[in-house]
Amino acid sequence: MKRLGEFAVGDTFRSVREVDPFRPVYYASASGDFNPIHIDPNIGAAAGFRGTILQGMCTYSWAAEACVAYLGDPARLRRLRVRFSRPVQPGDTLTFEGRCVAVEGATLRLELTARNQAGEDVLKNVTAEAVVEDR
Amino acid sequence: MAVDRAHLHRRYGPYVYGVGREDLRNFTAAVAGGIPGRAFASHVPDHAHLFTWDEDAARAGPHGGLVAAPGFATVFAIEPFAAAVSDPVLGLDLVRLLHGEQELEWREPVRPGDRLETVGEITRIDERGNMDVVQVTTTTTNQHGRVVVRGVWTAVIRR
Repeated sequence: MKRLGEFAVGDTFRSVREVDPFRPVYYASASGDFNPIHIDPNIGAAAGFRGTILQGMCTYSWAAEACVAYLGDPARLRRLRVRFSRPVQPGDTLTFEGRCVAVEGATLRLELTARNQAGEDVLKNVTAEAVVEDR
Repeated sequence: MAVDRAHLHRRYGPYVYGVGREDLRNFTAAVAGGIPGRAFASHVPDHAHLFTWDEDAARAGPHGGLVAAPGFATVFAIEPFAAAVSDPVLGLDLVRLLHGEQELEWREPVRPGDRLETVGEITRIDERGNMDVVQVTTTTTNQHGRVVVRGVWTAVIRR
């Protein structure tokens, strides 16, 4: 596993996720969020979307996952804050790009962007903190 | 109609959640590109961190066993937020409600067998333009009495 000394300001990381048609249903079954807008394309259409909408917390979890892939250990991620700025739907491709902006002792500060295939932010003000303790 | 600020500091919970091994792995599958459940569980989901998926790999890692993916916290910590936004006393219109912001702070790994208790409190009632903002802050404690996750959940209700 990567050690503290191997993390540096300016490090970048990236993750691309395609939203397949059944992802909102899979996420519903694992999370318990069965809000009909995530399950029934007709409800989504009635609300003005082209079908279902992915749970915001799935997008949030993908941002967390991008951080974890960089950090090497899920338990190193200590804080993640986002603003949801645009709905995500099946057929979308999301690109998460992160950057280490500070290393203060064992604490890393990260900033991320999350954009869809049109280059629009689906999350804004995405900031994360991690603690890397060498064992 | 604006949300009545008299409901500030209204409390919800405690809600108890027993963490199962397959709950953790199903969540990992759903987020990491796989399929939850046993019928399609034969391959490792593309984006899964092995500490959240593979018992043997996790046992050899720094935590000595499986730990939850960070996002798993939403499965149990959401309960006070869900209770607040659907609380008839507040009278929020769920059709107009959006999940506006989310912050989670993880203090300790969640593991299979944990017994978690989550409480929540309304910590903000506000107006922003033609929107109402309702914020719920949650705290989840494990069976050892230690805080594992703190959450700040912000709902935005279009008028």
